[in-house]
Amino acid sequence: MSSSFREALESGKFVVTAEAGPPKGTDISTLLHDLDLLKGRVDAINVTDNQSAVMRICSLAICKIVLDKGMEPILQMTCRDRNRIGLQSDLLGADVLGIKNVLCMTGDHVLAGDHKGAKPVYDVESVQLLKVVDGLNNGKDMSGNELKGATHFFQGAVVTPEATPPEPQMLKFQKKVAAGARFFQTQAIYDIDKFKEFMVFARKFPVKVLAGLVILKSAGMANFLNANVPGIRVPQELIDEIRGAEKGKALETGMNIAARHIRRLKEEKICDGVHIMAIGMEDKVPVIMEKAGLL
Amino acid sequence: MIITKKKDRKKLLESTGRYNRFFLLGCSECATLCGTGGQEQIDELKKELEESGKTVTGGFVAKTGCQALGTKVELKQFKEALDNTDCVIVMSCGAGTQSAVEIFPEKAVYPSNDSLFLGNMTRLQMFDERCSLCGECVLDLTGGVCPVTACPKGILNGPCGGTKDGHCEISAEIPCAWVRIYDRMNKLGRLEEFGQTTLAAKDWSASIKPRKLNVREQKDKKSGGEEKKK
Ligand code: SF4
Ligand code: SF4
Repeated sequence: MSSSFREALESGKFVVTAEAGPPKGTDISTLLHDLDLLKGRVDAINVTDNQSAVMRICSLAICKIVLDKGMEPILQMTCRDRNRIGLQSDLLGADVLGIKNVLCMTGDHVLAGDHKGAKPVYDVESVQLLKVVDGLNNGKDMSGNELKGATHFFQGAVVTPEATPPEPQMLKFQKKVAAGARFFQTQAIYDIDKFKEFMVFARKFPVKVLAGLVILKSAGMANFLNANVPGIRVPQELIDEIRGAEKGKALETGMNIAARHIRRLKEEKICDGVHIMAIGMEDKVPVIMEKAGLL
Repeated sequence: MIITKKKDRKKLLESTGRYNRFFLLGCSECATLCGTGGQEQIDELKKELEESGKTVTGGFVAKTGCQALGTKVELKQFKEALDNTDCVIVMSCGAGTQSAVEIFPEKAVYPSNDSLFLGNMTRLQMFDERCSLCGECVLDLTGGVCPVTACPKGILNGPCGGTKDGHCEISAEIPCAWVRIYDRMNKLGRLEEFGQTTLAAKDWSASIKPRKLNVREQKDKKSGGEEKKK
């Protein structure tokens, strides 16, 4: 069976993916509840890999739980914590569990997380990992050894359209395409006009692009993102819009902004779908989708 | 050069507490430039040891501390002092310390410094790490800027998503290695090639420890071969 996420993208449908962040600890009740809310509504669920270098349940185990719920997981894989042996071994394991999609990333540095004394691995990085996946799909490991049974991944990568300066980032995008990336999920974007310019560039390549969206909860959150998260830039007029909202309506305004952006991305056919990163507000994803006219 | 930093003095005095007669061995190369193993630092440590009731039998700044044979010859003049020493404190790098271990197989040898990295001196007593001795140099492909060292993730194929205004996501004080490499390649007119080459994952077997190199053997073999021809 091939990836239903891939089929959705190839059908030309406007695809929606959401994110499930594995918890720190073995209580997965909230995660299971969130998955129930998202089931039947989104095309696939990204399962993050020790996001922000904070130690949590591994992505592979939660992907399996997503599968068991009858949903389509996207296994996020970073190169921070495993060397080439560990990465390939987990990829083979993911394949036999039935996981069809993998998102290859270099990964946030350990200094961003909660185990700052850990040894960062980075034996390979995102571009090389894409090549590794391509190799495994073709029945060969990284050393060129024949596999008894190849993998079947639909592999993707990330891109940060707002990185400054943009040129080196665009070159890296090209390298990822050349290394076998079939789809891209972007870092959060808030400036649709600027994103359109990026898409003019990205459209030259035979890849699908999902625009990343992070729901703004408040003006304070927007300012925090601008100051602390490289690659995210919330334009001032959006911050003003949230600030100008009635008391207690900041989150609703943030959700309206997200819905408005989705509508525009879809109607103007700017990209192939959206990746909604709700960061703890997964229950809001269906609401936003409804507001955007997707449900 | 090898960059060293003085260890916490209190801890050094504590850890060497069981000994009473010390010889202090500095190094005229890197450690002197780092201000950790020159005459001045030897005098300073001598004073501190004496103040805590210890005896300092002598001190010497070796020409090149990591060169055990030469250092051994230089130390001959201190035979009497050394015979009368129960602990040698080495004020250079970890390599210099282990030269001393080789020279004094029966004596206690303690380091007074922490060895940090292979550094470039940018200003007097200011150092930057630019090469991490990976064993397989890629500077020819990266415009002469080392991604293995200058990028905290050692990425070989372009910037991560964390570059902000040309700085690294780890710290605004670090310029993003890949923005620097991009600029260099651009200036050299090599951007196209740069966009088209994907660097393969490094062969880390080139840096499995402990590494050894014997250039002499190769030379000997070569001249040996020539002799045969004659
Ligand atoms: S690639 Fe970097 S770390 Fe390796 S030898 Fe060259 S400069 Fe040194
Ligand atoms: S911002 Fe640049 S230097 Fe820092 S980790 Fe990313 S690629 Fe490396």
